Amino acid sequence: MDTRPPSQSEHAPLLTASGLEVLYEPAGGPPVHAVRGVDISIGQGQLVGLVGESGCGKSTLGYALARLLRPPARIAAGTVVFDSTDITNLDRKSLRGIRHNGLAVVLQSGMNALNPVRRVRGHFHDVLGAQQRLHAAEVDNTAETLLSQVELAPSVLDRYPHELSGGMRQRVAIALALALKPRLVVFDEPTTALDVIVQRAIMDTIARLQAEVGFTALIISHDLGLVLGATDQVWVMYAGRIVERRDSPALATGPLHPYSAALLACQGDPTAEKVELGGIPGSPPDLSKPPEGCAFAPRCWLSGPPCKEEPHEKLVGTGSVTCHMAPTKLEVPKLIRRVDGPSEPIPDSGHGAKVPTTASAAVAKGRGRHRDATTAEPLALIDVTKDFKTKRAAPSEGVQAQGLVQAVAGVSLRLEAGQAMGLVGGSGSGKTTLGRMIVGLERPSSGSITLGNLRVDKLRTRDLPRYWRRVQMVFQDPYAGLNPLHSVGYTVGRAIRNHQGLKGDDYRRELLRLFDTVGLAPPEHYAAKLPHQLSGGQRQRVVIARALAAKPQVLVADEPVSMLDVSLRAEILHLLGELRKNTGASLLYITHDLLSARLVTDQLVVLRQGHIVESGPTSSVLRSPSHPYTVELIAAIPTVQQSQTVPAGAITERPGEPV
Amino acid sequence: MRTTIFRVAATLWANRKARAGLSILFVFAAVAVLAPLLAPYSPTATNFARSAPASWSHPLGTTGSGQDALSQLLYGTRISLFVGFGAGLAATIVAMLVGVVAGYARGPIEVILGFATNLFLVIPGLPLMIVLAAYLPTRGVGTILVVVSVTGWAWGARVLRSQTATLAAREFVAAARLAGEGIWRIVWHEIVPNMVSLLAASFFGASTAAVLAEAGLEFLGLGNPSTISWGTMLFWAQNSNALLTGQWALLVAPGLCIALLASAMSLVNFGIDAIGNPRLRER
Amino acid sequence: MRYVLRRLPVLVITLWAAVTLNFLLPRLMPGTPAGAAVAKLAGQGSVSASQRRAIEVMLGVPHGSLASQYWQYLKAIAGGNFGISYTYFPEPVSKVIGAALPWTLALVGTVTVMAFVIGTLLGVLAAWKRGSIFDTAASVGCTFMAAFPYFWTALVLLYVFGFVAGWFPIRGGYSASVSPGWDWSFFVSALGHSVLPAFTILVSGLGGWVLGMRNNMMGVLGEDYIVFAEANGLSPRTVALRYAARNALLPGVTAFGMALGLVVGGSLLTEVVFGYPGIGYLLYNAVVNEDYPLMQALFLVITVSVLMANFVVDLIYGLLDPRVRR
Repeated sequence: MDTRPPSQSEHAPLLTASGLEVLYEPAGGPPVHAVRGVDISIGQGQLVGLVGESGCGKSTLGYALARLLRPPARIAAGTVVFDSTDITNLDRKSLRGIRHNGLAVVLQSGMNALNPVRRVRGHFHDVLGAQQRLHAAEVDNTAETLLSQVELAPSVLDRYPHELSGGMRQRVAIALALALKPRLVVFDEPTTALDVIVQRAIMDTIARLQAEVGFTALIISHDLGLVLGATDQVWVMYAGRIVERRDSPALATGPLHPYSAALLACQGDPTAEKVELGGIPGSPPDLSKPPEGCAFAPRCWLSGPPCKEEPHEKLVGTGSVTCHMAPTKLEVPKLIRRVDGPSEPIPDSGHGAKVPTTASAAVAKGRGRHRDATTAEPLALIDVTKDFKTKRAAPSEGVQAQGLVQAVAGVSLRLEAGQAMGLVGGSGSGKTTLGRMIVGLERPSSGSITLGNLRVDKLRTRDLPRYWRRVQMVFQDPYAGLNPLHSVGYTVGRAIRNHQGLKGDDYRRELLRLFDTVGLAPPEHYAAKLPHQLSGGQRQRVVIARALAAKPQVLVADEPVSMLDVSLRAEILHLLGELRKNTGASLLYITHDLLSARLVTDQLVVLRQGHIVESGPTSSVLRSPSHPYTVELIAAIPTVQQSQTVPAGAITERPGEPV
Repeated sequence: MRTTIFRVAATLWANRKARAGLSILFVFAAVAVLAPLLAPYSPTATNFARSAPASWSHPLGTTGSGQDALSQLLYGTRISLFVGFGAGLAATIVAMLVGVVAGYARGPIEVILGFATNLFLVIPGLPLMIVLAAYLPTRGVGTILVVVSVTGWAWGARVLRSQTATLAAREFVAAARLAGEGIWRIVWHEIVPNMVSLLAASFFGASTAAVLAEAGLEFLGLGNPSTISWGTMLFWAQNSNALLTGQWALLVAPGLCIALLASAMSLVNFGIDAIGNPRLRER
Repeated sequence: MRYVLRRLPVLVITLWAAVTLNFLLPRLMPGTPAGAAVAKLAGQGSVSASQRRAIEVMLGVPHGSLASQYWQYLKAIAGGNFGISYTYFPEPVSKVIGAALPWTLALVGTVTVMAFVIGTLLGVLAAWKRGSIFDTAASVGCTFMAAFPYFWTALVLLYVFGFVAGWFPIRGGYSASVSPGWDWSFFVSALGHSVLPAFTILVSGLGGWVLGMRNNMMGVLGEDYIVFAEANGLSPRTVALRYAARNALLPGVTAFGMALGLVVGGSLLTEVVFGYPGIGYLLYNAVVNEDYPLMQALFLVITVSVLMANFVVDLIYGLLDPRVRR
């Protein structure tokens, strides 16, 4: 609290926290030190972003700042001051006064932020009625004004939450927060779980409102790209601490902490001529046992002997960084690169030493053995449609509420042997349904799917297992995709037994080979683990290993990186690219993420509401899109100007810093 | 499967309520096994003074036909536990079969089983039991066991059905299919082990209901009045107007035992609830 | 309205299934209940051919194909012709049941709704003040209360308040000095007689509702919309009632429908203990006297009543939850 970076004096701080510590004390578990000594302040009218991977404590910090922590989480030390009132230990009643006085919160994705049995109008009456005595007509007027501010029609007032789409619900939540005439709004992952295009629209709305209404905002997100484009300042959080605090343009062009640099390297522009992606190996530390010294050191390619000590905060221009190595020229090792033309995974280099890329070598070993019995065959879809009966009409983005929903409407495409094709589109585009039909988990309502001469859509249920030796799927969610009760060795092993019929030593060898192939070495060690003992990235590798156990000719990957932190995206994509190159399998890559599609596919098909709107070579579709929807999808990606130079500005030790 | 059961048991024991419930159950089980050693007299011996009030030799008094009430109470534990756990087990097995099949199957089987479950759920159980017991030519513990099992499975089936449907929609089940697993393997190795705590909950739920139903049926005289159980003790006490003669212990003691047994099972179930729903966990 | 229409077929099918179950039960049982019943009735006095026929139709004397028996049975039920009672000879079963039904409906209906309302409110309170002494006391107390068999609670209350204290009558639905009718003295007498049975059902049923509602509340209190409502500065009262309790009530209503069968069973035992002139006591007498025609008809009446009550609960649920409407 004593020292404040000089530039912030031009904004009077609206919210400050000093020495903030949050403990999470679950029943029957060790206490987790989720926030460890955070000093921050937000000036009047500032737009601040708070970013980090999942598990780094950013949402907990946001909740602590808004005094919304619930048991078993509590503020263990430090103070939070809002508008010169210490709210750290304020009781419920005074806290309500503070909330009416302008501290508002918008929760993660807002999907469940509205009372399901109450109309939107009722929500406004509750909020507006709680702070001021207004007549019903006045409340309605105010509510209509607020709704128009978030671009919703007054008719929304008479809807129940379930009758609104996810994006609309989030807009209602924002309007409700605005009803408090907030001076500070904490947005906790405001766009997560929304469709890409909707995400962009919501962020634009937030930015416009901030300019019009003039509130101060803290935007918490895992998506650095999204935050950089929308904020004045960004705080990067790691293992319960703020490791870098910089003006957004400065961070975008010259990150000082290796973690920020690595997070930035996980972003890219899919329309560029050359696309490179970095990743961060490993996972954030377990905060029930806070690490000694620099918490990032185990994952840092720069770490050296000084990192055994706790780093100090160094002031840099208007911000600060907490790293022994700063300032250094930060060149983040890239894992995967794509230049116009054929795919080009990066071979192992000195930089990548810490990254588990044993994959390439192991795959190379397995090559030759692989394409044994069957030769690769093309997969063809002709005029495929799929209708779903909706039990209850729940409108989601782009889907009309009717008794019958056509998820896929007449799609024809051809995946040549060995080709990598991307299937992209927003939610409701039918891409996942299409993938499930191709692997035989769903049947088309009409049209045909053929693999070579085999009519896939006509397969009997008992013939499917044989088909699955040729076509396999990598599932989206590595948490739901593995049975929590079986060791991952069992899970992969069952697929080996069923599809390859191996027993005894052969079985064992194949199991170890597969674990090695997907970069889980030593295989014996990993095979015995239960899913919850592995990180998200490791689980997804297991999921891939299981799909490979069948030695498929066609691999359908359904959003294999969407549930993972961006820091893991590159390594999984790299692995997929390697596998494809080494096994000759064709790949159908389903995603909403154009960047990853650019990195692993040659052909791209853009789907919208069950129709193909555009297709062609990936780079030309992305770099010169012809359909407005493709243009919209591309525009929805937050792009970041990147360069790797250290900016001017002396770095000084922050005076009086404890630790 | 076995490790899952151990895991659930360990978590249960860690819960205060569940531990209390399990301890009471252990005590009852011990009493049931050791009844011959614990009981001062044979429960069927009728050679005492009739309707005697409590005394040192007969702490709970004697019944209208001159049996020692304490010995009856101790021996009666056996029937209650047997019927409770027996019917609980039978009902849970039926519930599991119906629930898992209805939750995993598609088409007419799903519809029919679902409908049967809902029907048995709304048909009032006790009247159905009474009618069944009245029609059956033999009366006794076996009959009650059958009747209680037949009517007690629906609740568990409903819960297990929706859980099966939830699990079946999870990606790991689709993934197991793609890994070439057969339908039975998926059901027994992927789905059922993930429902162990729900199975335990339906078991204890059904057992609680069975204990209460058994007592009710015997109290109504629909059991074999010559068996020694808490229900028949209440039946005889009521029939000999024990209350009006001031022998309240004949009524209170078996009633308390029934309540204690039933609450012990409920306590275990609260513990199981807490496993499945972390929000209910005690801090 | 469309919600009601959509629910109607389910009700009709369920009713049909219950009626059919009632038809099959005596026919599937070993022995011939119908023969026994007819023989018994013959011992009472003269049985007319039509009465005899009705009993055979209800309980199943194996002449005619099963299908034709079923058809006869459905016709008999539609006409309310359940045969005659052995116990209350020569009263027809329908008349006997008609006399008992109002007693049960008034007692069990009222008290069950009361138990639900009071229990739910207490559950809301316990969850809202979670961790408090009230919460702990309510949770522990209710666990035990819910575990006592209805008939045992009835016996204890009967002994303490009826026999020892002598505050309330111990048997029957009204005293012998008044005759049933729409007059004040009868009403007072009936009310006095219903206090103990009502209290029994209330006490035994309450615990389950308290615990159920408390659990539902605890679940709902963790939802995003509660956090958001709090963050928007709504009063704790509004959050507790309009946001938390209102949503926690939904599974409670569903449970109410399903618990009805249980409550009916418990009330039945309560009626037996107090000799209360309702359906439960009647069923007990029918069973004791092996009065199969009466028993059979009673089972049908009870089942149909519970199904109808469930239907009503279903409709109420539709009013409470906008997501299932339309």
